[in-house]
Amino acid sequence: MTTPPVALVPGVPALLPAYASLEDPVAPLRAACLAAVGGLGPRVRVRSSGPSGARVAAALVEAVGAVVVEDGATGVLVVGNGSAKRTEKAPGDFDPRAEEFDAGLRSSFAGVDAALAAELWADTACLGELPPLADAEVTYDDAPFGVQYWVARWQ
Amino acid sequence: MRLGRHGFGDDEALMMAIVNRTPDSFFDKGATWAEDAAFERVAEVVAQGAEIVDIGGIKAAPGAEISAAEEKDRVVDFVARVRATYPGLVISVDTWRAEVGAAVCAAGADVLNDAWGGADPELVDVAAEYGAAIICTHTGGVTPRTRPYRIEYDRPGGVVAAAIADTVAYAERALDAGVARESIVIDPAHDFGKNTFHSLEVTRRLGEMVETGWPVLVSLSNKDFVGETLGLDVGERLIGTLAATSVCALAGARIYRVHQVVETRQTVDMVWSIAGRRAPLRAIRGIQ
Repeated sequence: MTTPPVALVPGVPALLPAYASLEDPVAPLRAACLAAVGGLGPRVRVRSSGPSGARVAAALVEAVGAVVVEDGATGVLVVGNGSAKRTEKAPGDFDPRAEEFDAGLRSSFAGVDAALAAELWADTACLGELPPLADAEVTYDDAPFGVQYWVARWQ
Repeated sequence: MRLGRHGFGDDEALMMAIVNRTPDSFFDKGATWAEDAAFERVAEVVAQGAEIVDIGGIKAAPGAEISAAEEKDRVVDFVARVRATYPGLVISVDTWRAEVGAAVCAAGADVLNDAWGGADPELVDVAAEYGAAIICTHTGGVTPRTRPYRIEYDRPGGVVAAAIADTVAYAERALDAGVARESIVIDPAHDFGKNTFHSLEVTRRLGEMVETGWPVLVSLSNKDFVGETLGLDVGERLIGTLAATSVCALAGARIYRVHQVVETRQTVDMVWSIAGRRAPLRAIRGIQ
């Protein structure tokens, strides 16, 4: 039996239909998320934390015509992101430790300093067991609003 | 909603920019009397995003009599010129005369804006014949180009009930004449057959007109009810106009007949979003 594919997306509420704008402020991110989730097959198990992670995951799964399941999944969707303190206009204001913290995540999700993650407003609770990004197809790696997002897919 | 050649969704709010081919209208005082000046005004409001221009050849207030021939001289060729230059623009003509209506429709007009509430009964037949839309206004039965004088609306429901009864009756008459249902619009006609108190009440109760199901046009721009309410002259009424515009937008008015397109568009867009009928342009704050 082969391992089901795994995707990582950030829990960005702007991806929710309820928060749609006339001009999509996250169009490239949305396109990457939909492509990644679309590769998880028809039954998706979600692993999320944070206030909006589950909602965002459910919306993305629904948008690609799949369903969220607990058992019998064809793919796993993990929701999380790096710090939200990368710039002065970031939601959590600028923190000089944020960039190095995100660089560490980019190398490995293992052994995250949970206390520092909380200080930097990073959503990392579900990231610990992911393989490194180096082994993934990374389709988005940017911090357009001072929040570090990755979209990635492991097969 | 269908306005002549042009269709619009039920969630759209439209700007109808006033273009006067008159030497004496109250707001612009003849600024676009010359045809080229009027044409520049059209170019300006198109650039500002107006979907509709409302071309008028006779000012609403009393003044020198303008014959149908003179009215046609002022507007027909101008309509043809605008039609040729702006195929995507809705052209409305402000006239009560069927004879003028037929001539402008033949020249390319999409809408007959009958500001005088059906004074010429054959105007609806013209709209039907040319597939034009018609604006059915309420004037309380006054003669065109007369000012309201001691008009009262004593029946139950007051001025709003009268405005609804008359505009809906006019709309049904247009329907019977063969005008398409989606091409009929009603307008309470602020200040026409109304004192300031009447116009304020119509504004406050505009939702009752919207509830009739007919799309509602409002013409509030710089009018005397704004001026009398705030004690301001014609050139100082924009803020008051926009306040009244907000109230009508929240109630769901669909077409705004205006002098100031940009300011009114911003006001209506903002209210439309508050009402949940329009998404914000680009919202990311707090949801990154």
